[in-house]
Amino acid sequence: MIIRLVSAALVAGFLAAVVGTGLQFALTSPLIIAAERYETQASAAPLLPIPASLIVRVHGGHDHGTQNNGPRDPSVAGGEVAPVWEPGPGLPRMAFTALATLVGGVGYALLLGAVLLACNREPSPESGLRFAIGGFLAVALAPALGLAPELPGMEAAPLADRQFWWVMTALATAMGLYLIAIRRAPVSIAGGIVLLVAPHLAGAPETSHAASNLPAAYAAQFAARSLGIAFVFWAVIGLAYGWAWGLFGRNRPTHA
Amino acid sequence: MSTNTLVLTGTRTNERLGAVLVAAFLGLGLVFMAGFAPAMALHNAAHDFRHSQNFPCH
Repeated sequence: MIIRLVSAALVAGFLAAVVGTGLQFALTSPLIIAAERYETQASAAPLLPIPASLIVRVHGGHDHGTQNNGPRDPSVAGGEVAPVWEPGPGLPRMAFTALATLVGGVGYALLLGAVLLACNREPSPESGLRFAIGGFLAVALAPALGLAPELPGMEAAPLADRQFWWVMTALATAMGLYLIAIRRAPVSIAGGIVLLVAPHLAGAPETSHAASNLPAAYAAQFAARSLGIAFVFWAVIGLAYGWAWGLFGRNRPTHA
Repeated sequence: MSTNTLVLTGTRTNERLGAVLVAAFLGLGLVFMAGFAPAMALHNAAHDFRHSQNFPCH
């Protein structure tokens, strides 16, 4: 059974990665690259009279080593610390984006398979899609309500806080959806609603409202496109997982 | 909507539990690697994916 689950998840993750990577290249990557141009401009030429604390060089020409390499003199514009590896621009960067999408897609597909099995559902395109929509709500839509998809260069709260809130929101939403959609008893529905709402009442880590050079239209477009891509990504994972599960089961009906 | 349930027998349940655990472990590991791993090289490689899929980044 584990072989069948992993095989189906590999197929689903691969198909979703193909679709998701195509959409990312077409819709979000151009915006990310455009945003980085503003960001490197801002860090390369800090001529504006902005307090230094506002120019947090989150990307700083794509050198992310600031937090990990300990405190560093902000007036030293990089170069002192050995550069951290990053994929070269153009094709290598696209290749690694595709690879990351594949890893993420297979990971999500495995989780979807595990949840389907744990909930005692026979995977099919229909049930796969239904659970995939739950996955989209839990890891894409609900966290995005508090932490909007952000472009490079947009200021934000400390990473650890946001990651913690993200994970807690995803878990609470998933649990809440389970209680509402699968348990379906009045008490569990009430508990589920509490779980859905609680992370948002607790509140996401505060986003800084410092002005940014980035045009607002980019950020808005990016947020909408990012959620759209996430939905398609999940839908393909769900449909393909259900389809592939049936495909791998046909050869060995006795082991189904 | 009808929900097909898998037929359960004693051994099936154990097998199923094992499959759920293995798949969940693998899946969490892969998602962590793509979305959260703090190593800078991994972060830079997965950078555009993280932004597009709304993982907290930087």
